[in-house]
Amino acid sequence: VVAAVGVIYWVQATRNGNAGLAPAGVVRGGRLITTHRSEPQSFNRYTSANPSEEMFARLTQATLVRLNRATGQLEPRLAREWTASPDGLTWTLKLREGIHFSDGMPFSSSDVLFTFQVLYDARVKSPVAASAMIANQPLTVRALDPLTVVVVFPAPYGPGLGVLDSLPILPEHKLRQAFQAGTFQKAWGVTTPVGDFAGLGPFMLREYVPGQRLVYQRNPQFWRSDDQGRPLPYLDEIEVQIVPEQNTEMLRLEAGAVDVTTSHVRAEDLAGLQSLQAKGIVTLNEAGVTINPEMFWLNLNPASTLAKTRPWSQRTELRLAISHAIDRRRIVDTVFLGAAEPVFTHVTPGYGEWFLPDAPRTDYDQTRARALLESAGLADRNGDGKLDDARGETARFTILTQKGHTVRERICAMIQEQLQAVGLTVDVVALERAALIPAIMGGTYEAALFQIEFDSFDPGGHLDLWMSSGDFHLWHPRQPKPATDWEARIDELMLKQSTTLDRAERLRLFAEVQRVLGANLPLIAFAAPKIVVATSARVGGAMPSVLAPPVLWNAEMLWLVPAPAGASGK
Amino acid sequence: VNASLAAFIGRRVAAALLFVALVSSAAFVLVRIAPGDATTDLHLTRGGAAAAEEARARLGLDRPLLTHLGSWVTGLLTFDLGQSTVYGRPVADLVKERAGATAALASLALLLAAAIGLPLGVLTASRPWVAAAVAPISIALVACPPIIAVLVLLLVAVSTGWLSIAQGSYAVPTLALALPIAAMLERLHSQAMSEMLSSPDLLAAAARGVPRGRLLWVHAARQALRPVLGIAGAVVGALFSGSLAVEMMTSWPGLGRLLFDAVAGRDLFLAAGCALVGAMFVALANLLADVARAVIDPRVRESA
Repeated sequence: VVAAVGVIYWVQATRNGNAGLAPAGVVRGGRLITTHRSEPQSFNRYTSANPSEEMFARLTQATLVRLNRATGQLEPRLAREWTASPDGLTWTLKLREGIHFSDGMPFSSSDVLFTFQVLYDARVKSPVAASAMIANQPLTVRALDPLTVVVVFPAPYGPGLGVLDSLPILPEHKLRQAFQAGTFQKAWGVTTPVGDFAGLGPFMLREYVPGQRLVYQRNPQFWRSDDQGRPLPYLDEIEVQIVPEQNTEMLRLEAGAVDVTTSHVRAEDLAGLQSLQAKGIVTLNEAGVTINPEMFWLNLNPASTLAKTRPWSQRTELRLAISHAIDRRRIVDTVFLGAAEPVFTHVTPGYGEWFLPDAPRTDYDQTRARALLESAGLADRNGDGKLDDARGETARFTILTQKGHTVRERICAMIQEQLQAVGLTVDVVALERAALIPAIMGGTYEAALFQIEFDSFDPGGHLDLWMSSGDFHLWHPRQPKPATDWEARIDELMLKQSTTLDRAERLRLFAEVQRVLGANLPLIAFAAPKIVVATSARVGGAMPSVLAPPVLWNAEMLWLVPAPAGASGK
Repeated sequence: VNASLAAFIGRRVAAALLFVALVSSAAFVLVRIAPGDATTDLHLTRGGAAAAEEARARLGLDRPLLTHLGSWVTGLLTFDLGQSTVYGRPVADLVKERAGATAALASLALLLAAAIGLPLGVLTASRPWVAAAVAPISIALVACPPIIAVLVLLLVAVSTGWLSIAQGSYAVPTLALALPIAAMLERLHSQAMSEMLSSPDLLAAAARGVPRGRLLWVHAARQALRPVLGIAGAVVGALFSGSLAVEMMTSWPGLGRLLFDAVAGRDLFLAAGCALVGAMFVALANLLADVARAVIDPRVRESA
């Protein structure tokens, strides 16, 4: 009986992608095959802000601390522990002892100092520098000894050392010469021989075949081991295939030619993958709902053409009416085939403890929507079934969205249809991404449906969106002073929220921000899709995250189940 | 005869050079005037507006169009195709690599298409029952865009396992490119064969007792190649335009995928470089086809 129970457990565990196996069941070795949409422009993280470069840097380099993308907590990395001064400005970090770069050279605090020197250098002009500023000021870093560094913040910062999460530590011995010669921007380009790289990450680049693949092999010097003292990473190699098309990626996963896909599963692929999961071919891992939903907003810049020609478009009643007029359940069922949750603002349940469940809701209510539109001065004045403004002109605006992005195009079509039901006339124009972004960021649009990707849960790290002076204050960016009372209130709350160190107080302040947001709706969201990550059934150790990269952020913990004797892939 | 052939070739070479220059310059200008540029995505990063401004100046995107085009043409004269902003590498290296991959795929597809299409053309012209079976399939394949062909083949590959879809496998991309062209060659060759079989010289040869097999596969098939040769340029053009979809869907690292990345990323030099090489292939194929036709048929060079 015990043996039978054991066999059943093993079969179940195998069927579930071995997620339930104890760490003792981990197998070392093997090559994991994953995909990526685009190729790196550089292997130098500090000269490129692209997500590709960040993903590849996470495989080969290490940061002082890391945001655990599954738990949302900061965890030690090259710094084994840290302490903060009572004012939260001075952080003392103790580095791990005996660590070596992949080329065997020792790591010390001078590498940390060099990294920050490069980061803020005026000649390097690193696009990463802006994300490592607090109150538009750089951090100050000094070394007390080879294993201790002190990081001084220019102002109190609520997210604390989370600011270091995207800053890999560079090998000074490899890059100092290029830095001094003023050629750092060209260092570690895509044509650099693989032997010239060195890093503190779990893997090192072994081969790059442009247009086809990057192959990473285990870094024998990697400093981390698992709970049982076994050295990490478990895998011998990771092969990253360049697959620009998501349909092809899915087909390869189904055929067993790929183990991990670069992005999460689309709603339309879910049903097919569920049947493959039932056959034991793939494993679907649900990470929660996204923190980056599609957002709709109107251009609220008073200097915009929309504001000047149609003043009614700036009224809060209009935004509330739009939100009430949309049946979110239909969007969830039609666009996301049920694999999403209705939401009202861009702060979704994916934010965990930061999310306020009882924030103001604008539930589907067409009667309420009509009443709000009337209070905004819109009425059908000529009996054609369309609302008109006070001058008798049809109330209409144009939504810009991304061409070829089926989710965005479908949501826009539903908005158009449902707003028509309450009398609002909406045109939808889909533009190629390269044309859409300048239109949005340049403010030459009336309304937009798009998504901004955040790389952390802590809203204190998203001040560019919340503050009226921010570049990503999408509806009216870079304001010299807040244009409305409610924006002034959000500015005040977020400034406190991001500089307060008491977490409970930060949660309370952000709850208040969500109440102001829900009452004014500068950004309207409709659905937050569930983030499901598909892996082949032979992958173990995956800790899927709603943040990118969803699986490879923790590549050192991934392992492969060996294929049974006689089995072969297609 | 030799002088007229040389003059004909000279005119054709000049036209080919003009064609290549026009196509590549047009690609440069069109990508340059399209909304957005290589720095667009920087706007979506923190501090991106300043970084984008700095990058625009560094890449010369703040220069007037004609100045920019002029500097590209000047570079071209010294075989410098510029630096790719999408890949961070010299365009010349990229197009050399990718053109090789596309040429390998296209050559294999062309060989396969000829090996399937031309014999089938002979059979369908000479055997009514073969024509009844093959013609509907050929017509469907001729009407089938490469993107549909590649999707169907990928689905067949995944559901049956008969074809490999692993990275770098030739099976699916070659078949996706070859099948529509094979069908086109079959239709064209079949029609030309039908006309040839009723021509007086073939009837005379048959009357002289030339065996039917030799009549079909040697005499008629060879003469029927002339109209097929006439569309060689169009076939090479179709191969290159078809390779765009096929390379995207199968992740083939060729020129088509490179051009797509260049246009999507507003990579001026890369788009112009890809267009230059693609136009060179098409011009070369047309040139060779024209010369071959002129050598075979003197009326062609006289009328040109």
